[in-house]
Amino acid sequence: MFTVFLVIVLAVAVQGAFQTRASIAQTFARQSRIEQAQVTLEELLRLQIDEENSVRGYILNRDLFYLQQYAAAVASFDRKERDVRLALEAEHLNGALTTLDQYATLQRQWRTQVAQPMLARPDRSMEEIDKQNKAFSDYENRTADAIRVALANTNAALALSTQTQINQTLYVRAFWLLVFGLMTILFNAYGSRVSKELEEERTTTEILQRAFRSQHVPLPNCEVGSAYLSASSHLAVGGDVFDVYRLSGNLALVLIADVSGKGVDAAVITAFIKFTIRGIALRRRDPGAMLAEFNTAFAQTVENPYLFVSMFVGVLDTQTLQLRYASAGHDSAFVRRSTGVQQLAVTGPVLGVMEEPFETKTLFLEDGDMLVLATDGLTEARDRSGEQLHEEGAIRLIEQGSMHPQPLADELIARVKELGGNTMRDDLAILAIRVRDPQVSDA
Amino acid sequence: MRRALYAFAIVLACVAMMQGAAAAQCTLHSGARVVLYGTSDDPDVFVWDSRFRMRAYARGSFDQARALLPHALLVEAGTRARIVSCVAGFVESKYSDRPDDAIGIVIVNGRYRGRGGWVLQTDVRSMLRHLTR
Repeated sequence: MFTVFLVIVLAVAVQGAFQTRASIAQTFARQSRIEQAQVTLEELLRLQIDEENSVRGYILNRDLFYLQQYAAAVASFDRKERDVRLALEAEHLNGALTTLDQYATLQRQWRTQVAQPMLARPDRSMEEIDKQNKAFSDYENRTADAIRVALANTNAALALSTQTQINQTLYVRAFWLLVFGLMTILFNAYGSRVSKELEEERTTTEILQRAFRSQHVPLPNCEVGSAYLSASSHLAVGGDVFDVYRLSGNLALVLIADVSGKGVDAAVITAFIKFTIRGIALRRRDPGAMLAEFNTAFAQTVENPYLFVSMFVGVLDTQTLQLRYASAGHDSAFVRRSTGVQQLAVTGPVLGVMEEPFETKTLFLEDGDMLVLATDGLTEARDRSGEQLHEEGAIRLIEQGSMHPQPLADELIARVKELGGNTMRDDLAILAIRVRDPQVSDA
Repeated sequence: MRRALYAFAIVLACVAMMQGAAAAQCTLHSGARVVLYGTSDDPDVFVWDSRFRMRAYARGSFDQARALLPHALLVEAGTRARIVSCVAGFVESKYSDRPDDAIGIVIVNGRYRGRGGWVLQTDVRSMLRHLTR
């Protein structure tokens, strides 16, 4: 809004500057025209005198040269008169135009009533004609003076107008300078405030991220790796969560979940999931029962009816390598064995939708087997053409990946990023646990 | 207080009258010797038999002016004259903002020597004293 206002103000200022420039240019053009008319008027008066002098010259010398001079001056006079007339018409100086008419009429009368009789009878005494000549001359000079004054007044008015416009431009520029200065100060103050708020928000987010971050602890006979990538590039938290938590000396809770939604809001739910499941797991060892109890708690705690969670919960015995697990709509759970990669079955619906029992399944792992848990960011990853990876693609990536959990997790993240051209559509969490048979290790 | 105001008003009135008198004064005085000269483009000068006709010539239309020409002498530029009277600001013209003085003269040389008449102040040039001797 503020930027739009600034742009509008800038546009108005620029438009005003152009308008003023055009107006001043127009005034200068008019001044130039008036000054040209003043010069032409003086030339006209000079031609009038040339006509008179040519007549006098002929009378004194009888030299035909003076007659040619006279004819040339007459022709030039008429041309110059037309030029002055055009300038006066262009400036709408009607009073001066009338005076110019009188002036031209007098000069034509002078030619017929004074010049022609004198040229026709140069030897005659011409006292009366001389008087007429003087009278014409007096009156023509007076009318020419009137035109001079009109042009000079117009020129002075235009000069004043130009000065006024220049002054106005200076005032307007000063005004806009003031406006922009104030805008800059306000913008700067606003920017500082926003920057401070953003800094506070960033600090808060960092604190929350530390609290919500998924983590794993070392487990006996296990090698654990994990990776997390949030679809919100500036946040290290999102709607995915995993957890590896030791329930007792041999038993470990293994959890991965995906909350519908992204960002900080989803991250708050993941914290709720992590700590609630941990609490339930301390009392119950059956993953299906854990999910059922959590489902009830979730429905009572989270008021948003459109929010749901897919979750895989397992309890791994690190001595016997027995894995008991339940999956609430979470199909991105795989076991990589020496024979290949197996997808673990879903044992119940997603959480937060309906109250149904969740079946618990048991799986015996062997030495070197790797449990790979992911969120739907893996199976729903798309390449640039929009093609989804699906379970088959995920299985293929796991098969081709590293034998060790951490490198495998990093590889899966990298491949998904590479597929989407570094653009993530959804959060992605990977948790990989490779088990070692203690008996085999001891041996 | 009232006296002071009266005194101030009297001083103002005196100043105004002095300025008016100064404005109405002729710059040329009776007895001065002058040369008649119009403009460089048209140097000959009309000498009128009446200052009123001279004013009518300056004020009126060209046709009215021409009708008055029999009442004027056309004297050559350089003709000398002596001033016999002056009427300040007498001649007003529609083409000029500033009124001209009417100067009464007697021509002292040339073909019209001894003739009297009226000329415009702008048609008169003062003579330097040493030239008049």
